[in-house]
Amino acid sequence: MSKKVLVVDDDPDVRSFVVTVLEENHYTPLVAQDGVEGLEMIEKEPPDLVILDVLMPRGSGIRLYRKLKTDDSLKEIPVIMFTGIAMRSFLKSQKALDEFNGGEVPKPDIYLEKPVEPEELVRAIQKKIG
Amino acid sequence: MKIKKLLFVTKFEDLCYDSLNSLLTLRKAGLEHVVFLNVIERDKVAMKRGSGYLKEEEVKLKETANIRFIDWAENLFELGMEVGAYIEVSTLIPEILKAVEKEKPDLIVIGRSHKGPLEQLYSRSDITELTRRTAIPILVFKHLAEDKVVPEKIFERPLFATSWSNSSEKAISCLKELGNVIGEMHIMHVVNEKDLKSSDTHEVQKVRKKERKQLDDLCEEFEDAGISVRPHVYVGDPEKEILKAAKEYQATMIILGFSEKTAILERWMGSISRNIADKSIYPCMLFPVKK
Repeated sequence: MSKKVLVVDDDPDVRSFVVTVLEENHYTPLVAQDGVEGLEMIEKEPPDLVILDVLMPRGSGIRLYRKLKTDDSLKEIPVIMFTGIAMRSFLKSQKALDEFNGGEVPKPDIYLEKPVEPEELVRAIQKKIG
Repeated sequence: MKIKKLLFVTKFEDLCYDSLNSLLTLRKAGLEHVVFLNVIERDKVAMKRGSGYLKEEEVKLKETANIRFIDWAENLFELGMEVGAYIEVSTLIPEILKAVEKEKPDLIVIGRSHKGPLEQLYSRSDITELTRRTAIPILVFKHLAEDKVVPEKIFERPLFATSWSNSSEKAISCLKELGNVIGEMHIMHVVNEKDLKSSDTHEVQKVRKKERKQLDDLCEEFEDAGISVRPHVYVGDPEKEILKAAKEYQATMIILGFSEKTAILERWMGSISRNIADKSIYPCMLFPVKK
């Protein structure tokens, strides 16, 4: 059975790009338009991998990432960050939230800054889930 | 009523990061989430004779906006804030209302209306339209005067003009939550000349005494909430007196409730809040009628 990959991104062009890449490489794509919808889908049916944007309406990828990494039942799901937001800013935001909330959230497994070539995305997915 | 989430509506030429930056003082009072909205007006990409729908122009405008929002969002994310963004090709007010429905913000921040006087007469200003269609407070942000300088501390010396209406009550409950943010607030009530039963000194003084007592009670409420306040009673034409007071006390912003006049009456006669929001040089925080 092919592995399920959830794409959480508000940009329909990006969703379409990632879905095409996934289908061509025999993965089963699932899509969500924002952080809130993404979390609902993950809780309902945990995917094998999440590809996550950061800047989205109704709940950013920053909050969703923290939720995933601090929830015992979800923290093993690998996450690839796939965003236009610079990694430096993402890590600073996590540091600020760590200081505010206490505790430390691990860094993302893979951080891809848009745009990327399909091959680079496939390599990242294969690295995480084969 | 706390301001935890704000909807920042920008066309980029009116509101930019410097304006947003001056609002970040609200973090001291609980602001944690900013949602950006850029509406690309349809006529910028509409069907043109010989060239059809300007799809390439749409992509270009959306990408330009996206790059600006990413840049702003990075700054806010680094502060530990939550950020969201919408870029839509549509009409301004319906898109604001859609975003309000989805995001449930506590404050809408918008630039001065760009419609011309004739257009406003028939279709109303964006701000008036918005106050009619939402119950959420609206901050009409303005660059001060000709030099286009953004007021750095708009909450430093706000002038709150109360009419003792429902919408003023809403303003009071919101302002009480801003104890850490407001420097010194001036509170005023204008007794309209038309409402005075007679113009003899004794009558005028009696009215002043009554209004002043009411303002003093309100001042105590604000002082209990940690806000330093100074009350003022003015007599005359409300619009003129509010602007006079704003100048006298070097207000950094004017805070107003919105009137309950009917739409048609307001279109032809105007309202004090609308006129001040649309025409004065001061940033204005408007509280629509409670719904």
